[in-house]
Amino acid sequence: MSGGHDNHGGLNLTLHVWRQKNCEAEGHFETYALHGISEHCSFLEMLDQLNEQLLSEGREPVAFDHDCREGICGSCSLVINGQAHGPDRETATCQLHMRRFHDGQTIYVEPFRAQAFPIVRDLVCDRSAFDRIIARGGFVSVNTGSPQDANAILIPKEAADLAMDAAACIGCGACVAACPNAAAMLFVGAKISHLSLLPQGQPERRRRVLAMVEQMDKEGFGNCGNIYECEAACPKGISVENIARLNKEYLGASLTARPASEAAGGF
Amino acid sequence: MFSRFGAFLRSSIGKKSLMAVTGLLLILFLCAHVVGNLTLYADSDGAKFNAYAAQLEALGPLKLVAEVGLVALFGVHIALGMRAILENSEARPARYKDLAPKGNRTFASMSMSITGLVVLAFLVLHIVDFRLADFSEQGLAALVVERLSSPLGGTIYFVSMAFLGVHLWHAFQSAIQTLGMRHPSYAPTIALIGRALAVALAVAFASFPVLLLATGGQWPWN
Amino acid sequence: MTTPTTPILDSKCPSGPMSERWSKHRFELKLVNPANKRKFHVLVVGTGLAGASAAASLAELGYRVTVLCIHDTPRRAHSIAAQGGINAAKNYPNDGDSVRRLFYDTVKGGDYRARESNVHRLAEVSTSIIDQCVAQGVPFAREYGGLLDNRSFGGAQVSRTFYARGQTGQQLLLGAYQSMMRHVGLGKVTLLPRREMLDLVLVDGIARGVIARELTTGAVERYAADAVLLATGGYGNVFFLSTNAKFSNTTAIWRAHKRGALFGNPCFTQIHPTCIPVSGSYQSKLTLMSESLRNDGRVWVPKHKGDRRSPDQIPEDERDYYLERIYPSFGNLVPRDIASRRAKEMADLGRGVGESGMAVYLDFRDAIARDGAPRIRERYGNLFQMYERITADDPYKVPMRIYPAVHYTMGGLWVDYNLESTIPGLFVLGEANFSDHGANRLGASALMQGLADGYFVIPSTIGAHFAGRKLGAVTTDHPSFAAAERDVQGRLGKLLSIDGRRSADDFHRELGLVMWNHCGMARNEKGLKSALGTIRGLRAQFWENLRVLGTGEELNRELEKAGRVADFIELAELMVIDAEHRRESCGGHFREESQTPEGEALRDDASYAYVAAWQHASDGPAMGWNLHREPLTFEEVKLTQRSYK
Repeated sequence: MSGGHDNHGGLNLTLHVWRQKNCEAEGHFETYALHGISEHCSFLEMLDQLNEQLLSEGREPVAFDHDCREGICGSCSLVINGQAHGPDRETATCQLHMRRFHDGQTIYVEPFRAQAFPIVRDLVCDRSAFDRIIARGGFVSVNTGSPQDANAILIPKEAADLAMDAAACIGCGACVAACPNAAAMLFVGAKISHLSLLPQGQPERRRRVLAMVEQMDKEGFGNCGNIYECEAACPKGISVENIARLNKEYLGASLTARPASEAAGGF
Repeated sequence: MFSRFGAFLRSSIGKKSLMAVTGLLLILFLCAHVVGNLTLYADSDGAKFNAYAAQLEALGPLKLVAEVGLVALFGVHIALGMRAILENSEARPARYKDLAPKGNRTFASMSMSITGLVVLAFLVLHIVDFRLADFSEQGLAALVVERLSSPLGGTIYFVSMAFLGVHLWHAFQSAIQTLGMRHPSYAPTIALIGRALAVALAVAFASFPVLLLATGGQWPWN
Repeated sequence: MTTPTTPILDSKCPSGPMSERWSKHRFELKLVNPANKRKFHVLVVGTGLAGASAAASLAELGYRVTVLCIHDTPRRAHSIAAQGGINAAKNYPNDGDSVRRLFYDTVKGGDYRARESNVHRLAEVSTSIIDQCVAQGVPFAREYGGLLDNRSFGGAQVSRTFYARGQTGQQLLLGAYQSMMRHVGLGKVTLLPRREMLDLVLVDGIARGVIARELTTGAVERYAADAVLLATGGYGNVFFLSTNAKFSNTTAIWRAHKRGALFGNPCFTQIHPTCIPVSGSYQSKLTLMSESLRNDGRVWVPKHKGDRRSPDQIPEDERDYYLERIYPSFGNLVPRDIASRRAKEMADLGRGVGESGMAVYLDFRDAIARDGAPRIRERYGNLFQMYERITADDPYKVPMRIYPAVHYTMGGLWVDYNLESTIPGLFVLGEANFSDHGANRLGASALMQGLADGYFVIPSTIGAHFAGRKLGAVTTDHPSFAAAERDVQGRLGKLLSIDGRRSADDFHRELGLVMWNHCGMARNEKGLKSALGTIRGLRAQFWENLRVLGTGEELNRELEKAGRVADFIELAELMVIDAEHRRESCGGHFREESQTPEGEALRDDASYAYVAAWQHASDGPAMGWNLHREPLTFEEVKLTQRSYK
C-alpha cells in the first residue's frame, strides 16, 4: 500500500522551529535544512520527516500537537510564517500541503502564543483555558434520560443552520493565536451563539454568558479590537457575527440579570 | 444594582461597550463641532463664526454642563483605551517573530492605539490653543486664522486630522459591532457609513489648516 | 501457538421475548441506594462518545467520577471525525422503520456474528439517544417546518440517519463533552487531561484502578477506584495507515487484556471503500470521504491491464464499471466490505489507476452531465473541496481516485450483556469492546453504539457491580498498585534503554504493511502463517533495535509512540491467529478459501457461529492464547446468505 512518487526531487526547505524544553525554560529558534520534501505531503508529514531526520542524527524530535490530521480535532497549534495554521483560509495546519510552498523557501514555525496558552514544550501549548470556560456554562443542563421526544422541539431551519455554523468550532485556538490582542472572543462567541440561537439554550441563556465571559477574563485573554483576524484564521470560517452576538447577549444579560440573592441557584 | 454594574464595567465586554458608547457620542460631538467650524466659510470676516462662538458662551451654566460631559466622555474613552493597551500587551507576553496578516486586518484597525494617542496629544494642544486662550479682543475667527496659518501649527493640525480620520475609519463599525449590532445584510453598509463619516470629518476639519497654509493666512474667498 | 479450549462464556443475556429483555434485565438488576452512590468512585478512561457520555451520566446519578483523557482536552477524541450520521429507529419519515427493523438490519449487516440481545437493546435505546442529543442542543439538520431531517445512509432502505452536516460525530461529541464539562464545573467529575493509561490494577481479582503517565511531565501516577471503564476506542492503527487519528491506540485495552480480560473477535476489521489513496512513503494517515459519494459517483477502472492513459483519454468502451457489471441491482451502492474487496481485486489484477496503481476511479462526469455542476456542488461541495485540498485534483473535471482503508475495528475486549469484561469491575464501552456489530458495522451505527453504551447501558448495569459485590476500601498504597507501577516503569525504562537504530514509526510502518497485505481485505492461510512469523520477528527486532531519545521525565512523543507500537505488535499476532483460526468468511473477514462461486463471502455457520474470545496465556517468542467460544444463537433473525446481486 505504499508506493507513490517522491522521486521528483522535491522541495528543499530551511526551517526555523521554536524549541523550548518546558514551560519555564527559555525558548529559541533552531534552524534545520530539509531536502527532497514531496509537494504532495502535508505540513505535518513534512514535520514527521524532520523528526525522523533529527532522530537519526541523535537529536530530539520536535514536539507538536496533532491527532486526526483531517482538520476536525483541533489539535494543530502552529503559527507558520506568522500566520496561525499557515497561509490558507479555512484550513487547519494538518490540511495544509507542501505544494503551497516553493523550493528554497524559509519557513518559521512557532507555537500559538498567548498568556492564557502557556507553552508546554516546543510547539505544544496548553489550551485548557477553553475547557474551563466551557465548564462554567458552555452546556445545556439536561440529565440523561429526562428529555421529551426530539421532534417536540421545533427549530426553524435558519436557526439550526446558524447554530451549526457556530457549533462547527473545533476549539483549536487559532482565533486567539491570530488576534493581535490574544482575545478569545470568537471561541466564546461561537459557543454562546450555538446555544443562544436554539430553544434548548434559552433557560440558561443569561447565566451562561455572564459566567463564560467572567471565566474568559479570568484566564487572561486580551480585549477584542474588532480587527477580525480571528475570522480569517479560523479553520472553520466562523464569522465575527458571533462576536457581535456575544456582545449583545452579554449586554442584555448584564442589564437584566437579577441580583444573586433573588435568583435561586446562580446569578 | 451597583455591584452588577461594577461587574459589567470590570468585564472585558463591559469596558469595550463603554468605549463604544463614549466613542459614538464623541463622533456626535465631532459632527456638531465641524458644523460650527464650517460657519467660517459662511462669510469673509468670520462674523458668523464669532457669533456662533458667542452663542455657545451665552449658554452659561449649560455650557459648563456640556464641557463637563465632554471631559467625562474623553476621559472615560481615553482611560479605557489606555487600559486595553496594557491588558492586551499582558495577554501576549512572548511575541511572535512577526504576526503576519491573514486577510481581515486594516491599517486603521491595527493602529487604533497609536492613532488614539496622537489624537489625545492633539487634544491637549487644541485645548491650550483655543479653550484656554483669551480671544475676547481679536475674536475667535482671527485666532483660528492665526494659529492655523503658521507653518508649524497648520501642519500639526493637518496631520492630527489625518490621524483622526484613520482612527474613525475603524471606529464607527467597530463600535456598532461591540454593541452587538451586526447583520450580514447591513454590516457592509455600516462599514461604509463609518468610513464616509471618517473621511468627511477629517476632510472638513483639515480643510481649514490646508486652505490657511495654502493662502498664507488669507481667507481664499476674500 | 494456541491451546484451544472450549469453555462457554456466560454472556448474562436475559431470556424471554426479545423486545422485553432489556427492561426485564433492568428490573432484575440490583439498585444502588442514592446515598451510597457518592461512596463509589468510577474511573473512566477515554473521553470520546462512550467515555464522555458515561462520565456525564454516572455523575448525574451521584457517583464520583474521575476521567483520564489522552489529549489536552476531551473534545479532541476521535469520535469527532465521524462524518455521516447516527442511526435511530424513530421512523419520523414514516417509511416503515421500527426498532425491529433496525435490529434486524444490524444483525444481518453484521453477517450474523453479533449477539441478538445486545443488538436489540441498541436498537431500542437508539431513539432515546436522539432525544437526549437534541435536548443538549446538538444542531441536527432540520426541515423548513422545524422538524428533524433524516437521510438514507450506507444503502439502508429506510431513512433513519440523523446528521449535522458532515460533522455529526463532532456535534455529538461536543454534546457529550459539554455535559461532562458541566459536571467538571460542579465538581462531580475530576478531569485529568494528557494522561495515558499504561496498566490496569487488580486487587483480589477485581479491577480497582489504573497506572497512567502524565504526558507532559512523564510522572507515572496511580489511580484507585471501585470500577474502571475503558472507552479508549478501536485499534485500527495496528495497520499504521488507517483513517484513525494518530493517538488512537490499543494500549489501554491491550494492558487490560494482558491482565486477564478476554479479547473478542480481534480480526474483525472494517475497511472503508472510499478513502483518498496513499500518495507516498511519507503518508502518515488516510482520509475518509463519506460514502454518500457512491450515490452519484460511478466506480470504474480501465478494461486493460496497465492502461496508463489519463482518464479522459480512455474511451467509454474501454472502461469497466465493475460494480455495476457484477452487481446489477445494487451497483455502486453495495455494502462497504464488498466495494472494498472488489477495488482490491482490480488493483491486484493490475488495473488500478494513479501512480501507485492502488486506486480506482470514482467518476462524477455522468452525474454532472445529468444534474449540472451546481446540484453536485450542493450535495458534495465540502467533500470535493477536501479532496482537492489533499490531492490538488479538481473532481469536477478529473475523476476522483479512491481506495479502501482501514476504518473501524469490530473486535475488542469481550464483554457480557452488562458491558463487563471477564475481569470483574472492568467495563468496556464503545469501539473498545467487541461490540454489537458482529463481523461488519453498518454506516452511522458507531456513533449510536458509543452513546448507547455511555448514556443508557452503563448507568444501569454498573449498579450490579456495586450492589452485588463486596468491595473493600482500596487505596493506591495497596501492593498491587506498587507492583503494577513497577511493571510500567520497567517497560518505560526498557524502551528508553534499547538505544538501537530504528524509530517507533519505522517499525509501525513495517507492521502495518504486513497486516495490510496478509490480514487486511482478503486473508488466506498461507499469508496469515507467513505474517505470523514476520510479526514475531519484528517484535524481537523491536526490542533490540528501537531508538527513543530523551528521558521519561518530560513530554516525550517518541517514548509514547514506542509503548503503543510495542502493544500493536503483540495485538497483531493475536489478530493473525484469530484470522487464521476462523476458516470462514463473514462480513469484513474474508477468507479466500471460503467464498461462493461468484466470489462472495461464504459463512460457515455450523462451525463458526460463535464469538472467539481469546485469553492471554503466555509471553515469549511466540505468545500463547487460549480460545473461549461464546456460541451465538439466532432466535429472531433467520440465518441467510447475504446477496446483493
